[in-house]
Amino acid sequence: EKWDMPMAYPATNFHSENAAEFAACVNEGTGGELEIVTHPNGALFAGNDIKRAVQTGQAPIGERLLSAHANENPLYGVDSIPFLATSFADSEKLWEAAKPKLEEVMDSQNLVYIYAAPWPPQGLYFKKPVESVADMQGIKFRAYNAATARIAELAGMAPVQIEAAELSQALATGVAESFISSGSTGVDSKVWESLTHFYDVQAWLPRNAVFANKDAFNALSDEAKKVVMDCGAEAGKRGAAKSEELTAGYLKTLADNGMTVSEPSEQLKSDLSKFGETMTQEWMDAAGPDGKEIVDSYKAM
Amino acid sequence: MTSTIRRVLDAIYDSAAVLAAICLVLILIVIVLQMASRWTGISFPGSTAYAGYLMAASSFLAFAHALNRGAHIRVSLLLTALGGQRFWGELWGLLIGTAASTYLAWYAVKAVYWSYAFNDISQGQDATPIWIPQLPAAAGAVLLAVCFADNLLTLVLTRRDNIRSSAIDQTAE
Amino acid sequence: MEQLLPIGIFLFVLFLLLGTGVWIGLALLGVAWVGMELFTLRPAGDAMMTVIWRSASSWTLTALPLFIWMGEILYRTRLSEDMFKGLSPWMARLPGGLLHTNVVGCTVFAAVSGSSAATLTTVGKMSIPELRKRNYPENLVIGTLAGAATLGLMIPPSLTLIVYGVTINESITKLFIAGIVPGLVLAAMFMLYVVAISRFSKDYKPDPEPEMTFAERISNSRFLIPVLLLILVVIGSMYLGYATATEAAAIGVIGALVLAATQGSLTWASFSESLLGATRTSAMIALILSGAAFLSLSMGFTGLPRGLAEWIGSMELSRFELLMMLLVFYVIIGCFLDGISSVVLTIAVVEPMIRQAGIDIIWFGIFIVVVVEMAQITPPIGFNLFVLQGMTHHEMNYIARAAFPMFLIMVVMVFVLIAFPDLATWLPENMRQTAAH
Ligand code: NA
Ligand code: NA
Repeated sequence: EKWDMPMAYPATNFHSENAAEFAACVNEGTGGELEIVTHPNGALFAGNDIKRAVQTGQAPIGERLLSAHANENPLYGVDSIPFLATSFADSEKLWEAAKPKLEEVMDSQNLVYIYAAPWPPQGLYFKKPVESVADMQGIKFRAYNAATARIAELAGMAPVQIEAAELSQALATGVAESFISSGSTGVDSKVWESLTHFYDVQAWLPRNAVFANKDAFNALSDEAKKVVMDCGAEAGKRGAAKSEELTAGYLKTLADNGMTVSEPSEQLKSDLSKFGETMTQEWMDAAGPDGKEIVDSYKAM
Repeated sequence: MTSTIRRVLDAIYDSAAVLAAICLVLILIVIVLQMASRWTGISFPGSTAYAGYLMAASSFLAFAHALNRGAHIRVSLLLTALGGQRFWGELWGLLIGTAASTYLAWYAVKAVYWSYAFNDISQGQDATPIWIPQLPAAAGAVLLAVCFADNLLTLVLTRRDNIRSSAIDQTAE
Repeated sequence: MEQLLPIGIFLFVLFLLLGTGVWIGLALLGVAWVGMELFTLRPAGDAMMTVIWRSASSWTLTALPLFIWMGEILYRTRLSEDMFKGLSPWMARLPGGLLHTNVVGCTVFAAVSGSSAATLTTVGKMSIPELRKRNYPENLVIGTLAGAATLGLMIPPSLTLIVYGVTINESITKLFIAGIVPGLVLAAMFMLYVVAISRFSKDYKPDPEPEMTFAERISNSRFLIPVLLLILVVIGSMYLGYATATEAAAIGVIGALVLAATQGSLTWASFSESLLGATRTSAMIALILSGAAFLSLSMGFTGLPRGLAEWIGSMELSRFELLMMLLVFYVIIGCFLDGISSVVLTIAVVEPMIRQAGIDIIWFGIFIVVVVEMAQITPPIGFNLFVLQGMTHHEMNYIARAAFPMFLIMVVMVFVLIAFPDLATWLPENMRQTAAH
């Protein structure tokens, strides 16, 4: 059996490399009974389509940034509630709290959850020093989904909608003056060509999840199922470790290229954690009792 | 009787094309509003997605009209070489065209159904249920299939289809 | 080699459907369908619709119908005649005459538009009628246009460079800057070709332009003011940060409408004609893009492009040999895929080869663009050929033959790039230094 695995990010991205290792682990572990072939870079299906493709069996397995589907079900956005879980350790806890519910949601959509790995934490990029939310007033801030638009709104920034492909140019020409993303995005798009300050606020750690089509998965032998799940568990751990290891490197690269990389000031930190309370409440309202249960059990950990 | 059907079908193809043209104007308006919203600081969430939906609607709704106006292109070398036997070449082309466009239409309609059944929602800020923008595209795909079948039938009955190249601009012989 | 069977079947079905006159978009759909049915267990039709919907509703492509509309509006204004009135006194003096307006027009318009199809329709709508009126050889009018329009991809903004930059994580700004000089060099090479052919071809007997004094020529240049203003507004909006590359197309349409209004050529009839014309052309291109999107998916499932790239990787070539191999490779797959698909499908395998061979990744972006430009004018699948066929109603093979010399010029351009890599790398490197804090 051959499983084509669509993935959205370039082959050299650590998620893609991790998934390639996962595929190799499965191929070896099943002794060729199941062969997973990875297709990075959106070469098979674009990121937006991967989940649906797997749901409908157009692809038997795939990897996707899970929070992209928060419009469909707020639970998918649990890893992207701003300023709720702001470190690798907290993000891991939040994920443990959320996983049972997410597995249920996926199961109801004909998907089998295999593993997930976090991106490096999201930080704020600016063109000037920012000591508090008051300093953000009126800045043109790139919003690419509901949550980032809400952050702009809370902070009094002007949200500008810029697609990923246009980000570099938008920054270079001043269409956008600020955005929130991981250190890796900053390095990848050589953001120092346009911006000057990076604040490591660790707003959230979004995850890429790998899932299989339920029918395809159920058609596997029990041994093969176990191999897939074991390799997945390993890949999840490896991905998180790699992400943490890379984070420091990304921030150093930003600094080496002349950006001011720093922790947020106390004032900024407390301003942002207030946003966090507001947006966590808003998320719980949207996600209903399941959402409240997840947040409560996370806070109890 | 046949002429009534002819008139009705042509009217449908052309009205769909007018809708398509309106969608093109709407793309322009959405993009202008998007820029204006940025200059003024008023937010217009989901604008890029709306422009994309309008483009899909514009393209698909104009498919049938474009076919009858000879705008869809093909390699007509063999057809010309066939000379008096051209009918058979046209027949083959329309048969394949009808089959392929019916296939496209079938899955376009099915995609709308699944988008609806799955509750597939746009991942952008617009959060539109995807079946809504997919609906005009599916309608356009169905119309293209109807138009191909229409041409096939007309060809078989009258030995001449309804495809007329618009010779207004730049005919080069 | 296990790849031979799928390659054979693909080619057979492709040539069968295209050759027998099946509409191009649907022929591509058919080939893709055969590939899916033969080589994967996946539901072909559902997967087809997924990728077609993605390509048909893509935001970055919305610029295409708008630029086409802009071309349709301009075609109905006096702008084309005016551009000729302004340019011809200067171009007429060059050996080769007004044929240079094709190249110069495309070069200038390439700075506004990110795609070669849009560049082609806009400039072609203006120049073809004027050049025909003056009895320029038809094959040269068509050929130079097909070739020069590919500059739309090299001179920034460029859809191909955006896709390449996003794919390999390189600065798109830097890639854009890197494209400027090679774009101008390529334009110069096209112009040199026009000069040469005008000297050596016996059929080259266009109607002579009226003699003019220098003062008259200067005075005639006033006709260029509207078109220059339009270009200035579109480019300015982009570089001053008022519009993204995609949005600039909307500015272009509004500018064209304003221009038409001030010239008094904006009537309800001309407006609706331009709109419906643009709608039809966009629909034609969208049907082909839909077929191409499905073909690209089908190729992805068969693993063909990737297999070939891996095969090249296994040969352990020297840097020059590798580049030659890639040149041949991209020319061949460029015959069957559009440029962006061939980049997306292969770059994951090609990128490490390039990095390992120590080839500058920005430079390679420009190399790829030249090679992808060639794909635009090679049959059986070449977008510029399709668009020109839609515009002129010439046969595909006529257009492809007319464009062939341009293809050869681009091959020469590849060697120029290899011999003088600084053409692509000097500007971005020096811009970087001045931009550093
Ligand atoms: Na360009
Ligand atoms: Na080609």
